[in-house]
Parts: sequence; C-alpha cells; structure tokens
Amino acid sequence: MQDDYGSIWSYRAKWAYLLALVGVLLAPVFYVIYISFNEYGFAARIYEFTLEWYVVVLGDKILVASLEWTGYLALASVLSSVPMGLLAAKFYKRTRHKVAFVTLMLLPLFVPADIMASSLLVYFKNLNRVFEGLSDALGSELFYGWFDLGFLTAWIGQVLYTVPYAFVVILITMSRYRDQQTEAARGCGASAWQAFWQVEFPQIWVGVASSCAFVAILSFNEAPRTALLKGGFDTFANVLVAQMLNIGMSEESYAMAGIMSILSIAIIGSILIYSMARSERLERERRVKAQPLMSQ
Amino acid sequence: MPNSALDNRTEGGRHPPASEGLWVRVLGENGVQKWVFYIPVVFMTLFLAVPMALTVVWSVFERTQFWMKPGLTLFAYETFFTSARAENYLFSMLHAAIAVVISFALAFPIAVFVRRRIPAALQHRVVLLFILPFMISELVRVFALRPVLGRNGVINTFLMDIGVISEPITVILFSPIGVVIGDVISFMPFMVFAGFLAMEAVQGYVFEVCEDLGARTLRAFREVIVPLAAPGIFAGSVFIFVNSVGGALVPTLLGGPGAVNAGLIVNQAIVAIDFPLAMAISAIMMATLMLLLYIGHRMFDLTKILEPLS
Repeated sequence: MQDDYGSIWSYRAKWAYLLALVGVLLAPVFYVIYISFNEYGFAARIYEFTLEWYVVVLGDKILVASLEWTGYLALASVLSSVPMGLLAAKFYKRTRHKVAFVTLMLLPLFVPADIMASSLLVYFKNLNRVFEGLSDALGSELFYGWFDLGFLTAWIGQVLYTVPYAFVVILITMSRYRDQQTEAARGCGASAWQAFWQVEFPQIWVGVASSCAFVAILSFNEAPRTALLKGGFDTFANVLVAQMLNIGMSEESYAMAGIMSILSIAIIGSILIYSMARSERLERERRVKAQPLMSQ
Repeated sequence: MPNSALDNRTEGGRHPPASEGLWVRVLGENGVQKWVFYIPVVFMTLFLAVPMALTVVWSVFERTQFWMKPGLTLFAYETFFTSARAENYLFSMLHAAIAVVISFALAFPIAVFVRRRIPAALQHRVVLLFILPFMISELVRVFALRPVLGRNGVINTFLMDIGVISEPITVILFSPIGVVIGDVISFMPFMVFAGFLAMEAVQGYVFEVCEDLGARTLRAFREVIVPLAAPGIFAGSVFIFVNSVGGALVPTLLGGPGAVNAGLIVNQAIVAIDFPLAMAISAIMMATLMLLLYIGHRMFDLTKILEPLS
C-alpha cells in the first residue's frame, strides 16, 4: 500500500526506521547474550566462545531450585490466568457495563508493580489477622495461615499481573469471531458448552494458545511482585536481581539473563513465525476461493 | 427430524424439563455456568480493587514498632510531603513526562506509518514485531543497558574508537538520563500498541482527504491524526508515565544512588517497616492514576480504543 505519489525512498526510509527501532530495543538483549557466551565475560579484549557460565548456572542447586519454583509458578499462572482471561473476554461481549469491566480488567497494566505488590502485602497480612480472629472465635485452627506469604500469595500477584494480557489477546482473537455462529449452533440444538467447544473454540484456539505462552513468559520474567509476596522460596528473576544488587554483574548474571532472554525469544519467535505462516496460508486459501471459476 | 432437534435442545439445558435431576439445574446454564463468568470480576475485585481502595484507609493508620494499628492520622502524608521524598516524587514525575514525550516522538509515527502505508494483511504482523522486545523480561532489558551505557560499554567504546570523544561519557548511566533511557526502552513498545489500536479507528479515506485538500504531512498529523488517535495516545502515555513514576526497577539498576521514585520510596518504607508511609505513597500513586484516567476518559472517551475489538 505504498503511496502512488510518494517517494519510494521515503517509504523505504520509514521501513528502515521501524526496523531500526526494533533493533535498538533488542540490541542490548542480544549483546547480553553475546557476553554470556564469552569465557572472559564483559569488557574483555578477547572473545572465546564458551558454555561454561551456563553450565555453572545450571549446576548451582539454588538456581536450579529457583528455576523449579519459577516453573511451578508459571504453570499455576497459565492454568488460572488463561481460563480467567477467556471467561473475561466472553463476559465483556455480553455485559452492558463495558467501561467499568474493562477498567477493572486492565487496571493491573496501569498500576506499577511495586505499588501493587506493597498493597497486596499489607492486604494479605491483614487478611491473615482477620482469618486468625475468625478461627479463634470458632475455636478451631481451620483458617490459620491461609494468606501467609508463600506460593499462594505469589500466585495471586502473578495472576493479577498476567490476566489483562490473556484477556486482551483472547479478546483480539474473539473480535474476528461472529456471534451468529454460536446462535446458529444453539438453534441446531447444541448446548452452550457444545457451541463453545465445537464451534467457537476451534476459531479462537490460536489466541488461547498464544495467551498461554505470553502468560508463561510474563510469569517466568516477573520479579517485583514476587519479591514481596513469595515468602520463603526464590524465583529465577528474584535471584538475578539479588545477584545484580549484591554481587554486581558477574558472568553468572549474564548467563542467567541469557537463559531468560533465549527462552522468551524462542517461545515468542515461534509464535510469531507460526502465526505469520498461518495467516499467510489462510490468505492464500481465501484468494483461491475468491478466484472466479473458469468455464469448462 | 423435529423430534431429534427438539430433544437435543432440551438436553442442552436451555429449558431443562422438570423431570431432570438437580445436578442438571445446578451445573446447567442457569446454575454454575451462568455464574462462572463472574469469576474474573470477583477475583479482580477481591485482590485488586479492594486492596487498592484500602491503601487509603491503611495510610491513616498509626505506625507501631513492627506493624500499624487503626487510627486517623495524617502523619504518613506529613512525613511524605515535608521530606525530600515529595521533591524526589516530583522529579520522578518530570523524568516520567520526558520519557512519555520521547516515547511518543519515536513510537507513534510508526503506528501511523503501519496504518497508513502498510497493506492491511501485513499490519498486525508488523506490530507483532514489537511484541518480541516487550515480552523479554523488563529486568533483562534494563540490566542489558548497563553494559551498553557504562564507562566501558558499547556506546563509549564505539565513540572513543571513532575519535568522537576522548573520555567516556558518564552521564548516561547512574543518572537521571539513564533513568529516562531505561524508561523509554522499557515501555516504548506500549506506545506502538496503543497508538496502532487507536489508529485502527481512523479510516483510510481520512488520509486521502487530507492529501486531496493539500494538507502537508505535519499539519495533517497535528490537526487530524493526533486528535483522532488521542484516546490511544493518552492510554499509552498514562501507561508509560505511571509505570515510570511507580516502577522501582529502572532507578534501582540505572539511576545510581540519587535516583528515587515512588516505587523505590514504597520499597524503602516497607524495608523500614513503615507501612502507613508505604500505603500513603501507594494511595497518592493510585489517586494520580485515577485522576489521569478520569480526565482522559472525559476528554477523549477511552472506550474508543476498544471499539475495533467490540
């Protein structure tokens, strides 16, 4: 859709600017990955490729334990945030109070991480006190420690952070789905679940799968909320922050940052390539269908 | 035919006959299935809206040695406004505003270019390019700036190698400039997303009309495109502004000892076990955010951003 009257060089320059900006955003990350493979680390005159720092990181029991915790947390977030995002997207379509609902769902995007984390920290401590009072009143220990800082509180923090992304991604995919198809399915006798599972879901599964990947990555990378809400365990990002602040930028820090970046790039890159290939294929199919039939 | 279709419909639970069991009514569309859609609302209300609203209540509590007790005192606000914290907060707002302006100047023209010049089938794919940097951990992206901006970093080494400078530039790291650079790198992709979403509401013929009437690029941008895309620009700006003021990561890693913002003050207050102060600053941040969103909604109707999705 290049402007017929505009200069081709202006068009190319704008493309170059766009790609340069993506490059500027990504260049520091690739530089960190590059350093992480250098045996002599940052600012060395000599560059010798090595996997040594990755071996050191993956051989460190504390770091491996933090990776495990991060994995559990990411899994728990995916299993809860994506269904919640899906429910929210469906609710958005039917509710009359769209403004209030969207504000509530997207608010976590606008509340800074440290502010949200500190509010939740105080909230959980207060909830614990309320629940303990309730337990004492009932003469049982049933409600003791429900909101002690730990996996549950860190999970809540992560779900709050990731649900808006899942909601938006699924909503974008759903915007291409026509509700008349559901109505037609219902008219043919399908239950609400059948209409969703057999008619709607096959058309929006790409969005749901993408939101799974996004939530997993966001959860894996998240640090500020988890730092205040995690209690006794450590996540990979939290260990990295602690290392950076206490030890400085060591070779292990570069390798840890490298692991986080390579994982994110691999997952998001795969999604981008797949979705581009898929829409290319669909476009090709659409064009074939749109071609007039040749007379025999 | 009629019999089977009718049977299916009733089995689907739309109009369950009285003979059906209790579990069908409980699990059916008028039972659990109806209420399950409220789970996100309940969750977000319980764990987001309520704690955020309660920050105001906790901020007027009295501080005790390790916690706080119910009270009605403005001591936390007094502590905040009569110390250097308020000044630091205002400075962090200034830095955030600069980050917003730079992000807008760099990123919004891309949203316009994509919408105006790139074929419709390609537009979403081009915007997706910005997902990749956005999805890499903010922690890593900010951390990655240290070996780039530092004394021995890529920029200084390159400039010294080509003879532009003889001494490393130190002002770009562990300084307010470092914080602004970090904020721009961290949050700029959001301006592309919000800008593009807003530009989707601008019909293609608008550009043609501008050209046919002889409007120059800058004038069309200023007087037509920006007003039409204002909701998206505003949403992107608020996102960058609030996260720059309230996120502690960037000043911690790039700002050096003197750099402070609201997020960092909150963290420091929690480390000092001064919970009312932490809650007072959180309440001020939330009030700022709500005020900005309210003004934005009144001026630009922010729901327009979501129109393409409805």
